[in-house]
Amino acid sequence: MHYPWWYVPYLTAPMLIALVAVIHMLVSHYAVGGGLFLAMETGYAYKKKDRDYLAYLRRHARFFVLLTVVFGAITGVGIWWTIGLASPLATEVLIRTFVFGWATEWVFFVVEIISAFIFLYAWGRLPEKTHVVIGWIYGAAAWISLVLITGITAFMLNPGDWPENRSFWIAFFNPQFVPQVVARTGGSLLLASLYVYLHASIVLKDLKLRELISRRSMRPALLGAILITFGGAGWYVMLPPSAMAVLPSAAVLNIFMGLIVGMTLVVFLGLYFGPYRHPNWLSPGFAGMLLVFGFGAVSTGEFIREAVRKPYVVYNVVLANQILPEEIPWLQGVGFLRGGTWTRAHVAAAYPQVLGKGDIMPARLLALPRADRLALGRVLFQYHCNDCHAEQSGYSAAAPLVRGRSPEALADMILHFRRTHFYMPPWSGTPEEAQLLGEYLAEIAPPNPTGMLLNGPRKEAK
Amino acid sequence: MDPHSLVDTAAAGIPAPFWFIQFFKVLGFTLHMAPMNLWFAGIIVAMLLHWLGGEPARRCSRRLMRQMPFIVALGVNFGIVPLLFIQLAYFKFFYPATILMAWFWMAIVGLLIPAYYGVYYYAWGWKDDEALTPGKQAAGWLSAVLFIAISFTYANAMSLMTNVEGWPEVWQSHAVAGAALGTGLNLGDPTLWPRWLLMFGLALGTTAAWMVVDAAWFAARESEAYHAWVRRSAPKLAALSVIWAAAAGSWYVFGTWPGELRETMFGGPLILLTLATGAAGGAPLMLMLTLGQTSPGRTTATWIGLAQFGVLVINAISRQTVQNLEIGEFFDLAAQPTSVQWSPLVMFLVVFVVGVAVVAWMLAQVVKASASPTR
Repeated sequence: MHYPWWYVPYLTAPMLIALVAVIHMLVSHYAVGGGLFLAMETGYAYKKKDRDYLAYLRRHARFFVLLTVVFGAITGVGIWWTIGLASPLATEVLIRTFVFGWATEWVFFVVEIISAFIFLYAWGRLPEKTHVVIGWIYGAAAWISLVLITGITAFMLNPGDWPENRSFWIAFFNPQFVPQVVARTGGSLLLASLYVYLHASIVLKDLKLRELISRRSMRPALLGAILITFGGAGWYVMLPPSAMAVLPSAAVLNIFMGLIVGMTLVVFLGLYFGPYRHPNWLSPGFAGMLLVFGFGAVSTGEFIREAVRKPYVVYNVVLANQILPEEIPWLQGVGFLRGGTWTRAHVAAAYPQVLGKGDIMPARLLALPRADRLALGRVLFQYHCNDCHAEQSGYSAAAPLVRGRSPEALADMILHFRRTHFYMPPWSGTPEEAQLLGEYLAEIAPPNPTGMLLNGPRKEAK
Repeated sequence: MDPHSLVDTAAAGIPAPFWFIQFFKVLGFTLHMAPMNLWFAGIIVAMLLHWLGGEPARRCSRRLMRQMPFIVALGVNFGIVPLLFIQLAYFKFFYPATILMAWFWMAIVGLLIPAYYGVYYYAWGWKDDEALTPGKQAAGWLSAVLFIAISFTYANAMSLMTNVEGWPEVWQSHAVAGAALGTGLNLGDPTLWPRWLLMFGLALGTTAAWMVVDAAWFAARESEAYHAWVRRSAPKLAALSVIWAAAAGSWYVFGTWPGELRETMFGGPLILLTLATGAAGGAPLMLMLTLGQTSPGRTTATWIGLAQFGVLVINAISRQTVQNLEIGEFFDLAAQPTSVQWSPLVMFLVVFVVGVAVVAWMLAQVVKASASPTR
């Protein structure tokens, strides 16, 4: 509306955010927990004068830098790229609100990059104490980065009192802040241990050293598991009631909630029976299984965290279809097509006959030929609905969801979304525009499928 | 279609004074430009030196490529600052431009990952007495090509951002039902090619200056033949940079600027900025040809490095000025209502100072350890 909408066939543009974000999370949590692991364990190995362990840690640091400084950092930039393209209004609002939070986080990112390089490349040249201090500088900077970014992402789920009092600090210390910091810190510690287990099981032949690593990394994993449990519970408690109500409303979220609990349990049990009770179990297969389930739990958690925000992208601040809640009454009056910068320009250029005194006249829309009405219905679909629904096929495609309904029935449903679908954005246009969208949806809806025997078995024709 | 109708003129407001935003945008862009120039032109120069050059040229190539992982890391990191501040004050132009070419803009992330890993693969584990393997050579060339492709995409986005006149054409020819397909590029904008080539010319100069700085400060173990080669070759590369940048800059200014913009940049106090931008590129070359030959050493190298940094600073200021003038036709950026977030701003500045101190302490530890003969 304020910006051109990016049409991504089948997938929808916002799903690209989810895709990039999940990939990034799997590495960025390790970038925090792995840094703390390296600082802690390097200090321990120096203290014990354990040369073998130090040699392993140096090798792990190299893997760590290659994965986090390149892939982790670039996918982090990738999230910025995708949110600006798929949710420009939300990104605009977030940057205006948190610019100095982000700028501060950048300083810690600089410290992270430089300390990571020094930690790895000056290994063996720095005094031991200084080397460990630089490891801790990295760990601290990475964790503070996590805290700063979590303040922003947590705001997106529950901005608390910010809509009434637009202060940076009220936005940052929102109701979701503490639970999410706790959960993400736990996730970082746990995922780092799982990465370490897999890496050590692949590169180390020395079984004694593997057992040492298995035992030592159990502690942060256990702490991580506890923090995730408490953080997750806090996340649920601090959800806005309407977001909480989304969870049982969608079958996919029910399944995902089951999956996250199941996969997290598998990881916890695996840690208990593996590294805790039988440190010698640390084989590539076992460690790989733990990491896969850990990835699964984190990815599922991220998906649920995104999904419960419906119909918002920033709760109570920006709707998923890039409209501010306060704009809805105005749009319902003047019309969605007229209210949007890009929709207005498109209609003015393509259908000048609907203009009166330079603006779109909603009443004239229905006088257009059918082909033009359908084309405008599709414009409305792109800008109002495509953020969550693909068209005829793809992610949560709209067409199969509306089959069998008349254009009038669809227009009525669109006008009164809130009666039946509280998790969808309210209609932000005129009744005439709802009619256009209804006609378009009826046009693309597939016919009812054949193949069901609802009247009993077919009888042979006599 | 009137391009003015595509700019949302509602004033959203900014949380810091406009001059502050511009200052950090220009500062961040300059800090980004220095390492970015080294991968934009430096990798292709290094690959050519290895392919065509003698032993000193190959040493220089090796040195550049070994430093590249750090250079890319710093460059990407510094790029965040201008990207943040451009979205803060210029969002009405930045988002539409990047959405219209969304797939290409997204491709930057996809291209950057293999380009970055390519320089790591090239540089890591390559011992001094070993020949360059075909795999490493392929990785180096691939990285060079990918970084050049990324720079072209960037030039498209930044030029499209100010080419509002061109938005209707790019949008309408790459849209479905009024929604952008994200497959447009700014190829119809005459400023695109000279802007992109001008940056490459600057990048050649930064590479030349870095060769001198590196030889003076970090290449003490290299032979005298190597140092003599750098003294001979860096001015040649800097001269190529000056000629290239002058040609591309002239094309840009005299061949593509609208008359009104040219009049503004060549009139009033701005003429000083324009002339200084044009003349500055020669300063590092003059230093290389004079002090660099008569009294080479760390002091001279530092002056050459600072002169090139100055070239980048003045270019960044000029680019910002032109960008503001081009956008000013559609929206008065400086007139946006300002509601300063004082305490977060102070937090950022304090953390910035502390961060610089921490980085300085860490680098001092490395220097101290490197100087210690016992380790």
